Amino acid sequence: MSLQSSFIQIFISHIKREFLINFRSLVDVISTISFMILIVILFILGIGPFEEKLRLISNAIFWLGLILAIIPSLEKTLQRDYDNGWLDQTITSPTPMEIILLSKSLAYWLLVIIPLVISLPLFIVLLNINLKLIPWLLISILVGGLSISLIGIIGSALTLGAKRGNILLPILIIPLIIPILIFGVGISEAVIINESPIGNLFLLIGFTLIYLVISPFISAFLVRIAISR
Amino acid sequence: MFDWLANPNRFNRITEKIQPYILLISGITLISGLYFGLFDSPKDYQQGDAVRIMYVHVPSAWLASFLYFTLAISCVFYLVWKHPLADLISSSIAPIGTLFSALTLVTGSLWGKPMWGTWWVWDARLTSMLVLFFFYLGYILLSNAFERKIDGSKTASVLAIVGLINLPIVKFSVDWWHTLHQPASIIKVGGPSIDDKMLLPLILMIFALSFFSLYIIILNVKTKLIEKKCEALLLKSNLEEISTTG
Repeated sequence: MSLQSSFIQIFISHIKREFLINFRSLVDVISTISFMILIVILFILGIGPFEEKLRLISNAIFWLGLILAIIPSLEKTLQRDYDNGWLDQTITSPTPMEIILLSKSLAYWLLVIIPLVISLPLFIVLLNINLKLIPWLLISILVGGLSISLIGIIGSALTLGAKRGNILLPILIIPLIIPILIFGVGISEAVIINESPIGNLFLLIGFTLIYLVISPFISAFLVRIAISR
Repeated sequence: MFDWLANPNRFNRITEKIQPYILLISGITLISGLYFGLFDSPKDYQQGDAVRIMYVHVPSAWLASFLYFTLAISCVFYLVWKHPLADLISSSIAPIGTLFSALTLVTGSLWGKPMWGTWWVWDARLTSMLVLFFFYLGYILLSNAFERKIDGSKTASVLAIVGLINLPIVKFSVDWWHTLHQPASIIKVGGPSIDDKMLLPLILMIFALSFFSLYIIILNVKTKLIEKKCEALLLKSNLEEISTTG
């Protein structure tokens, strides 16, 4: 068996592990979606039930809801494994930490973003989102969600073992994910005014690719610092 | 070369010599810059005397971004070559950069009141400065969030480097966002053709504030070095006490 195929096997087995842990209790997934619905409700209650107003800002509300709903669950991605000693064990294994963390962020992406995508029809109904937006919204959520989970794993590794890490995490993460919000809302707005959203989409993909390259290395570096203390 | 510079004693000796000159340069440029800026420069034909806020606003905006760059570079030195002095430098830069970005926001909002009629406009540059402020804040909060000082420095250094990669993207995307939503409606501050009489105090003020912050940073680093020495001495005397009594 070549080294490459063994890495892929390890990769897949780690994703399987994450799924097993998280789907034994569906609480995380359900709480993320319900948190997002609650954020949407708060927004609507804040601005009033006027349809014209809503149509103007429904995309922004959707993206804000998505980002805010994901952030609380980010903290758990590494903290749990750090607390129960799983990270200490895996650091001694021959598999590079980078591969493990990349698989973790991909698993996180599947676990949180896919349910949100499935619940997309619900938000389309709730927010009166234009139907021609659906394919673009789907692509932008998938790509943007990947970059949120890649940045999230950096944030989660940054606050590993920190005092009040759960409060610190949003402060560190939100400035980093501003471009995702801007490009994501930009895609929807371009579609609404009948312009090509492809420019914004490429920017979003480029941003995601940057983090796909650097995120595993940075977070592995941080995890090693956290383990060594 | 950096090894040579990173020796704390050598750092102390060199800075001892150049510190008065730095203060002198900053004092001279500050006084002359303020004189030229406040008394001997023309009013803007549109903005009147309010344009003089520029002589504080622009240098501090420049310094806020430049200091973040130096902070991240010294974080690289800390992580790669593990110079303790580099960490002291970046942790001394952080509060000063935070102050300068706050000063930029405050003067920008003071300038905005007579110009735009409101204290705050979601102008692209002001918005990205606000984001920069939070990058500084994140660095400071994270470096103080750990039990041991060294963990905080290492982790926060990584954050600063991530910020260095991310900040240009944020800056670009905020500009992009702004052009999408508001096509060139705000007066271009300063403008491409600036009067020579205005340029002189501006440059003087940039020099003054840069040298002043350099002076403060050196002072900060020295204080931290002394603090470390005190800690080491305290530890040593405690150990001696334990070994003699126990």
